Amino acid sequence: MSLLDVCDLSVTFGRRHRPALDGVCFSLDAGCRLGVIGESGSGKTVTALAVMGLLPEYARVSGKVELAGHQITHLSEAGLARLRGDVVTMVFQEPMTALDPTMRVGRQVAEVLRLHAGTESGPARAAVINMLGEVGLEDPERVADAYPHQLSGGQRQRVSLAMALINAPDLVICDEPTTALDVTVQATVLAKLNDVLDASGAACLFISHDLAVVSQVCDQVAVMLDGRIVETGSVAELFARPQHPYTQGLVATARLDQTIPGQRLPVVEDFYRPGVSR
Amino acid sequence: MSEELFRAEKLTRRYHNAGREVVALSEVDLQLAPGARLGIVGESGSGKSTLVRLLAGLDRPTSGRVWFKGADITALPERRRGFLRSSVQMVFQDPRSSLNPRMRVGDIITEPLRSRLLRPQLVGVDHRTRLTEVLAAVDLDADAADRYPHEFSGGQRQRIAIARALAPKPEVLIADEPVSALDVSVRAQVLNLLTDLVAGQGLSLIVVSHDLLVVRHLCDELAVMRAGRIIESGPTDQVYLQPKTEYTAALLAAIPRIRTGPGETGDSR
Repeated sequence: MSLLDVCDLSVTFGRRHRPALDGVCFSLDAGCRLGVIGESGSGKTVTALAVMGLLPEYARVSGKVELAGHQITHLSEAGLARLRGDVVTMVFQEPMTALDPTMRVGRQVAEVLRLHAGTESGPARAAVINMLGEVGLEDPERVADAYPHQLSGGQRQRVSLAMALINAPDLVICDEPTTALDVTVQATVLAKLNDVLDASGAACLFISHDLAVVSQVCDQVAVMLDGRIVETGSVAELFARPQHPYTQGLVATARLDQTIPGQRLPVVEDFYRPGVSR
Repeated sequence: MSEELFRAEKLTRRYHNAGREVVALSEVDLQLAPGARLGIVGESGSGKSTLVRLLAGLDRPTSGRVWFKGADITALPERRRGFLRSSVQMVFQDPRSSLNPRMRVGDIITEPLRSRLLRPQLVGVDHRTRLTEVLAAVDLDADAADRYPHEFSGGQRQRIAIARALAPKPEVLIADEPVSALDVSVRAQVLNLLTDLVAGQGLSLIVVSHDLLVVRHLCDELAVMRAGRIIESGPTDQVYLQPKTEYTAALLAAIPRIRTGPGETGDSR
C-alpha cells in the first residue's frame, strides 16, 4: 500500500471561482520522491496544504487523501496535530516567516521533538544539536542559541529542514524550499536535503516551478496545469520526452543553458495555447 | 569623454547599521560604453544593487566619483539630476512592490513624464501617444491603461514596470533581478521582451542577477562581484567558459541543471 494516496481530490474556494484543484489523483510510495511542477496558480501549493490538512475552513473539499492509513479529510484538528510534525512535515518557501522570530531556533526545533516524542529538554537539546549538525550547519551549538534574524537565509532554511526531519517523518513536503535563496546557497541546501532524505528514508513531495531543481531531488514528476495533473512520469523520461504540449513548453523554456545567448527563447505558448476554459 | 556612458572611480559605499559599519561597496572602478549590455552577478550582499543604485543616482557614494556621459553626477543636487532621471531608468525585482497599487496602469506609466525635473527633455511629448507606444512595445493591450496593477499577473506587472521605465525615452535601462520573482514559463517571455527592446530601441542595458544563465542570455559583458568588489570581468562568453576565479567557477557550478539521465553532471544522488 502506498504511503500517500490522493484520489479525485477537488478543492474550491468561494462560489464563483473555478476549482483550485480538479480531480487530482496520485500516490506516493514510502521513500519515494515526487516533484510537482507547474506555474503559480496551478494548484501545487493547494495540493500540499490538502495533504497537511491545512486548507482553510471555507475551502470545499471532495475526494480522498489517505496518508499512512489516515483519512486526512475526515480527521479532527486534534487528530491532524498528532500527524503533523510527526508523520508528515513541511518546509516552506520563506524560512523567515516559517520560524518564530521571538524564539531561539534550538528551542523551536526541540518543541517538535518534545510535543511528539515527549523528550525531556536535556536530551532534546542534544538531539537538536545533532540534527542541526546533520543538515550541514557549522557550529550547531551557536546556531541553536541564535534567533532567526541572526542567521542567514540559507542557515534559516536548514533550520526549517532540521525541524522537519527531527521526528523522522514518513513524508516531508517541501514547498519551493530554495526559491528565496541564492544559487550557491540553493545548491548546498539541495545537496543537504538529498543527504538527509537518503539517511532517513523519508518520502518527499517536492513542489517547485524550477524544473532543474526538481530534477536534482526527485525520481518522479507530476505536471500541474489549472488544478489538474496533466502528465506524470519518471524524471529522466518526462524531461527527455515530454508528451503533453504544456510540458513540452515548460521543458523548452527551462533550458536556458541550451539556447544561444541573445536569441529568442522558446515560450510555453509556442507549444500550448490554453483553451477557451481560461 | 563623450564616448563613454558611465565611468566610476573608486566607488565606495558604507552603511551604518546599529553602530556597525557595513562596507557594501569597496573601491569599484567601472567603465561602460554606449550600447553596452553589462551583467552584474554575485550572491546577496555582494554589492550588486548598491552599485547600480549609485550609477542611477538613487544613492550617493561615501567616497569615489561617478560620471554619466562625461558629467560628474557624484555631488549633483537632486534638482539638477533631471537629465539623469530621464536617461537612466530602472526595473526592479518585484513588480508587486514597485507599482503603486492605488494608481491606474496608465497613470503609473506616464508618471515619469509628469515629473517637473524631466520636463525640459520631454517637452511636447503627448502623454496619450507615448502611453500607447510603450504599451505596444511591451505587448500589452491598450485597455490595460484603465486597470489597476492587482488585475495583472506577475509577468504582466513586470511588463508594466518595463513600460514605465521606457516612457521617458531612456538611454540606459537598469534591471535589478528582473525575472527572479517570476515563474520559469513567464521568465522566457520577459527575457525575450528585454532582448527585443534593447535591440530595437538601441538601449544600453545593465542587468543585476544572481542567475548566471539570465545574464549570459542578455548581456555581452559580465562583472562578477563579491564582498563589495568586482573580482572578475570580461566578455560574457569568456567568463562563462573560462572563469578565472574559483568564486566564479563555484557560481557556475551551482546553477541547477535538468538531470535527464542517471550519472549526469550535477547529479548528487
